[in-house]
Amino acid sequence: MTPVAAALGGAFSMAAGGALAGLVTPARWRSAVVGAATAGVGIAGAIAGLAAVSGTGWQVRLPDLLPLAGVSLTVDAVGGWFLLLIGGVAAVVGVYTVGYTGQTGHGPAARGALALVPLFVAAMLLVPAAGSVSTFLLAWELMAVTSLLLMLAEHRHTPAVRTAGLWYAAMTQAGFVAVLLGLAWLAAAAGGESFDTIRDRAAQLSPLASSGVFLLCLAGFASKAGVVPLHPWLPRAHAEAPSHVSALMSAAMVKLGVYGIVRIAFDLLGGGPRWWWLLLGALGALSALYGILQAAVATDLKRLLAFSTSENVGLILLGLAAAGLLAGAGQFTVAGVAVAAALLHAANHAGFKTLLFCGAGSVLRATGTRDLDELGGLSRRMPATTVLVGVGVLGAAALPPGNGFISEWLLLQALLHRDPAGGTTLIIAAPVAVAVVALTAGVGVATYVKALGTGFLARPRSTKASDAVESPPTMLAGMGLAAAVCAGLAVFPAVTAPALDRVTSGLRVGSAPMQGGVDLQLAGVAASISPLWIAVGAVGLAVAVAAVARTTGRTRRRAAAWDCGDGPLTARMEYTSTSFAEPLQRVFDDVLAPEQDIDVTHPAESAYLVRTVEYRRRLPDRVEARLFGPLMTAVSSIGQAARGLATGSVHRYLAYMLTALVAVLIAGVFR
Amino acid sequence: MSGPFHTQLLNLACGLFVLTAVGVLWRRELSALIGLLTVQGVALTGIAALLAVDVGSGEAIAVATGVGILKAVLLPLLLRRVLRRVPEARETAPLVNVSASLLAAAALTLLAYAAARPLVALGPEPTAHAAPVGIAVLLIGFFLATTRRRAISQIIGVLLIDNGIAAVAFLATGGVPLVMELGVSVDLLLAVLVLQVLTTRLQAAFGDTDLDDLRELHDR
Repeated sequence: MTPVAAALGGAFSMAAGGALAGLVTPARWRSAVVGAATAGVGIAGAIAGLAAVSGTGWQVRLPDLLPLAGVSLTVDAVGGWFLLLIGGVAAVVGVYTVGYTGQTGHGPAARGALALVPLFVAAMLLVPAAGSVSTFLLAWELMAVTSLLLMLAEHRHTPAVRTAGLWYAAMTQAGFVAVLLGLAWLAAAAGGESFDTIRDRAAQLSPLASSGVFLLCLAGFASKAGVVPLHPWLPRAHAEAPSHVSALMSAAMVKLGVYGIVRIAFDLLGGGPRWWWLLLGALGALSALYGILQAAVATDLKRLLAFSTSENVGLILLGLAAAGLLAGAGQFTVAGVAVAAALLHAANHAGFKTLLFCGAGSVLRATGTRDLDELGGLSRRMPATTVLVGVGVLGAAALPPGNGFISEWLLLQALLHRDPAGGTTLIIAAPVAVAVVALTAGVGVATYVKALGTGFLARPRSTKASDAVESPPTMLAGMGLAAAVCAGLAVFPAVTAPALDRVTSGLRVGSAPMQGGVDLQLAGVAASISPLWIAVGAVGLAVAVAAVARTTGRTRRRAAAWDCGDGPLTARMEYTSTSFAEPLQRVFDDVLAPEQDIDVTHPAESAYLVRTVEYRRRLPDRVEARLFGPLMTAVSSIGQAARGLATGSVHRYLAYMLTALVAVLIAGVFR
Repeated sequence: MSGPFHTQLLNLACGLFVLTAVGVLWRRELSALIGLLTVQGVALTGIAALLAVDVGSGEAIAVATGVGILKAVLLPLLLRRVLRRVPEARETAPLVNVSASLLAAAALTLLAYAAARPLVALGPEPTAHAAPVGIAVLLIGFFLATTRRRAISQIIGVLLIDNGIAAVAFLATGGVPLVMELGVSVDLLLAVLVLQVLTTRLQAAFGDTDLDDLRELHDR
């Protein structure tokens, strides 16, 4: 029995056991048992992934498990990378869940809501392990259904959960139909449904078939990955789901959309014409920019994180698109760097987004609100959470020495170090992509400064924030684990080099030429970076400045802060989330099109005096309104028209059926 | 046993089978409809029995016996019980009158034979050649359910559909496994029981069993 088989077997049996335990254990122990089981499933999945990226693949066919098609599992290096990612996220979230849904927690602790968590993780592990079209589709649907049910756990409390659930259900099913059509077409054209067969025969596919399959699969996978313009479900679902579920969805499930694109476009279809990659890159750039802009102006903490997920997926797609273009132009070394950047960014994003969503859950538990305008001052009441969220924010803002910085640096290296003689398309597309990455990173810094600054620093702006209490140890432990992984990836990214090397060679885009222990060097590309020394330098510099200021500066004295002579400083004078983002909102006014309202009321005596000023702002999602508004109007008008068909008469319904039957038979006669 | 006599018997049973279906469209007295349905059940049992003799297996004989008990005895009994509780003797105002119904039945039978050509082409046996009969009865049953107002007529329509399906299954495959037949039979019995309850409730609520009284059952 290979290690992958043993670990995956352990993961699936633990998931079944955990689900069962969730149903039968009394409420007092339920969270602990299910959380431990989820963490166990995650660890086992991560071990399987680790074994797979270390070069021990595994393949099995279980023909009797399902009628007609059977189940076929294949774990290779590419699948292993995503197994590792999902397993890691699930392990952390499992620990966090123990506290979050426990006695002093905040999350839903009902039987079903907990029993489904390990099943959801198992379904996610099954997706990258699938080795045939039918198994993949089964796992995909299992994942969609379990995540939907988990998301709806709190539907009794807020109507917004129901709306979000409806959006998610509709979009995930539409995406599933697209993937189903695409993969069915692929299997039919290739004459077999196992991934091995498809891979062997992909070269003989007609251009129409392979492009059609690519477009259909791209639509399905992009909607799962939250790529703009197929994103409207994402900010709703991630914001309204219980936080441990949001973390699983945003950090792990969304990555499986990326996995789908990698598996189909690179592995099974073996690359394609240039326009595929330009389309993918355009979608990536749009997601990155639009996602981060919406995140920058969001006041709901979880909505901010959700839109930032769209942004990061956009950057990942940008890397994949660059890899496809570069491989098509024969520049395999740089293509390898681009794929490695994309995959490493997927892992980094999984790390810091798990941490941040868990942090948002802690805030929600402590204060009962996600509105950044109502928060502030949490650093005093929740110091440990603030430090941990700070680590996540550092990674998400892509600033050194955070982990997001490393992968964005790699992405930029790939875009900058292409061969100048690589063709006109590349010459135009690569600098545009660099500009997109730079703008995204810039707005990203502002976004996360806002999240941390207005949410955690300064004074509390509401009683909810001032009454906050620190999270229980299990929640902090979960977040601490995630923070440790983020820090590890930030300081020693080179440990991933052998694994990424195997993954990229498995994808046939050229090996990722990353080497090094402490330094990260790109062989064949003149670039190297030393994350450890950057971190040591940054910390050392900060310590040195503080020490110098302490020893040589003037002695510290305590005094009241300058308040313009207008009484004591109050929390009303602070930057809120809205006011912090206001300049950005002005700059990007044409893109965001905010709806603003200012009401000024005057006292009766004089119109020159002001009594109150009321400012209201709404930021509707324009892409959603323009694209999905007309679509939904059309669908509902068709539905209204179709109601005329259903009058309630049984005879009429029977007549419809008879007519349909006769029509089909007549069509059969004249075929 | 196989030969011209066997084939003659099979054709006789099939002819009786489709003729009773047409008869159901023709007659208006509900008790006569039940009688015709009984005869049809006997014809279907005959088809199953002839096939069982042909195959010669115990399972096929058991299936034929089961079909006979259900379609020729049990279901007619249930329907007569419904009729006793709901004193409506005639199908007074069908949505399509009798002569037009008979013409439609002719057209539907024609369609069944035309559409079943691939089925007939499957094999040279007389059983496969008789398969369109089942489809014809199915269509006629559907037509009956669509155009008749009384609840009992509708139940009979559903039963005709089921008889048609069963006949196609017997004739095209040369025998149905016992488990499958058992499942279908129990299902059908349950459906008829439910419809029986529905009919009595309808009678209690409206004084008759015109299904067009149930027009409120739709979303607004």
